[in-house]
Amino acid sequence: MIAYRRGVNDGMPSAEPTAGPTSPLEPWPETVDWRGVSPDLIWVELLHLAGGLAVALIAVSTGWALTGHWTFGVGFGAVVAFGLWRATVVVRAVRAWGYAERDKDLLVRHGLLVRRLSIVPYARMQFVDVTAGPLERAFSLATVQLHTAAAATDAKIPGLRPNEASRLRDRLTALGEVGAEGL
Amino acid sequence: MNAESGVPGSPSAPGPTAGTGSPRHRLHPLSPFLHGAKSLFVIVAALSWQTLGRVGVGWFIVVVLILTLAAITLSVVSWLNTGYQVIGRELRIHEGLLWRRTRAIPLERLQAVEVVRPALAQLTGLAELRLEVVGGGKTEAPLAYLTVDDAIALRERLLGLAGSLTPGEPAAARTPLPGQHIHAVPNQELLISQLLTPQALLLPIAVAFVLTQFLSEGSWSFIAVASTLTAMAGVLFQPLRRVLDDWNFRLARDDAGLRVWRGLLETRTQTVPLNRVQAVTAIWPLLWRPKSWLRLRLAVAGYTGPGQEVREQADRLLPVGDPTTARRILFEALPGVDLAALPLTPPPRRARWVAPLAQPVLGAGLSDRVFAARQGLLTRQLAVVPYARIQSVRVVQGPLQRRLRLATVHADTAAGSGVAAHDRDLGEAWGLAAELAARARAARASEYGSDRAGGARRERP
Repeated sequence: MIAYRRGVNDGMPSAEPTAGPTSPLEPWPETVDWRGVSPDLIWVELLHLAGGLAVALIAVSTGWALTGHWTFGVGFGAVVAFGLWRATVVVRAVRAWGYAERDKDLLVRHGLLVRRLSIVPYARMQFVDVTAGPLERAFSLATVQLHTAAAATDAKIPGLRPNEASRLRDRLTALGEVGAEGL
Repeated sequence: MNAESGVPGSPSAPGPTAGTGSPRHRLHPLSPFLHGAKSLFVIVAALSWQTLGRVGVGWFIVVVLILTLAAITLSVVSWLNTGYQVIGRELRIHEGLLWRRTRAIPLERLQAVEVVRPALAQLTGLAELRLEVVGGGKTEAPLAYLTVDDAIALRERLLGLAGSLTPGEPAAARTPLPGQHIHAVPNQELLISQLLTPQALLLPIAVAFVLTQFLSEGSWSFIAVASTLTAMAGVLFQPLRRVLDDWNFRLARDDAGLRVWRGLLETRTQTVPLNRVQAVTAIWPLLWRPKSWLRLRLAVAGYTGPGQEVREQADRLLPVGDPTTARRILFEALPGVDLAALPLTPPPRRARWVAPLAQPVLGAGLSDRVFAARQGLLTRQLAVVPYARIQSVRVVQGPLQRRLRLATVHADTAAGSGVAAHDRDLGEAWGLAAELAARARAARASEYGSDRAGGARRERP
């Protein structure tokens, strides 16, 4: 498995360059300065997960209490095991998110099972979304998404501090304006 | 309605008027009746055979007539409130009675223009003008209907306004003589090619099956027969539509870009400026291989928005042709690109674990101007995208690919599904992604760089 040796920072710029062997998620280590997303995103994701699990557990335990059949007990255990496994995945997945601003383009990487890296030139930007759901707001986080004319473009950065999100948004739009128009 | 709009008595659009800020024009006065006739078909289809069987022919006709009259009345009202005008570099379309809408279309954003003549419009000498711009869920500006002369004049005028502002495309790359004919597809070839499709080949089996069902059941009611025929028409719909859509297919190139004429019942003339070609895909269907035929599909932004993939799947560059023709056409559509000489390299042999049969087919390569990738075991596809049209680059690695140290590189375009180089070696994939990003940047810079000063000027108010 891949070791994520880089510590995640709290949305603030980190200056230390990545050294060591190239991990599959970190190409061009000498030129790209990756930034992680806020670790608070772990709590947001875990709460999302807990919400889903709670519904499943209530359903299973109601069935168990009413019928007393042993399969519901097995189901209960399975749901708990699944939840624990997902929780570890969530922690690692949040640490796997990363983005880097280069001169002309934005790099975004994410995913554990399926790894994805997007290179989106600022000049191709059509619009930028900054969103924050209730849970994200409770942890004072926001999501920035960059859209191009291609529907397949996948440049979404969750778990940013609001000031970092607005800094990124302003920088993206400013860089987008000097770029080319049209397609 | 403002005072400029034509008096209802003389609504027909005057000829091509010169100058900016031209007066507001009406659509042709026959338009509402054509729209009404169109809705007649929709109404009949909606009522379906079952209704006909239940209420009898007389009532059926009465219901259809009432609904059609209502539709025509609505069309007349909407016609009275619809108008268009060209102001500066914008086309403005006014419509709506209660909810007024004025849509301004900046012409520098024009992707393609199409003059469409449905069968009814051909009888009355009318045509519809469609403008494609990126963003809208549907064709943004269907001006239905104008007289053919007006439609063509307006098209040339809009293209002229759009082209004079479109940066890039160095003048040297264009053909000096306008209206150069490139290719015409023989209708016989088109028919044979569409008979060589799974739907057409399986039809006799379907017919035999249905016939045996009927003979054994012995139920020969009118509704059963009609419904079966309708279902069969549905099966044959795609090849049949291709034949109808691509009948008399002709392709030419002039100053404005590529021009395509096609259609039997509904004729279309489409104009695509060369720098609006987002990607070209060459497709070799399995059943066409004995003939060594292929078809070329053109991706133009605005046609394939999200949620409407089905629309406009017609192969607008070449419905069917031999490799020599395809090579010549691709050379015109993407100047300097040779279909036969693309430097494709296969992925490493261990990619067979991911794509056991298709591994020898896969290939990708970078040429001077384009990124090309080949895939597909049965229906082979070769997608070509110019660097200047790449929107973003992605590297995706699935779990199996990770064990084999492979990755897939995608180049996303504004239309179609982009180009994907499947199962490249990981190191090569990173290199490819970096190279694509760099080349796309260089291509953009050479296309727009000289125009950077003009960028601010062209910004919309």
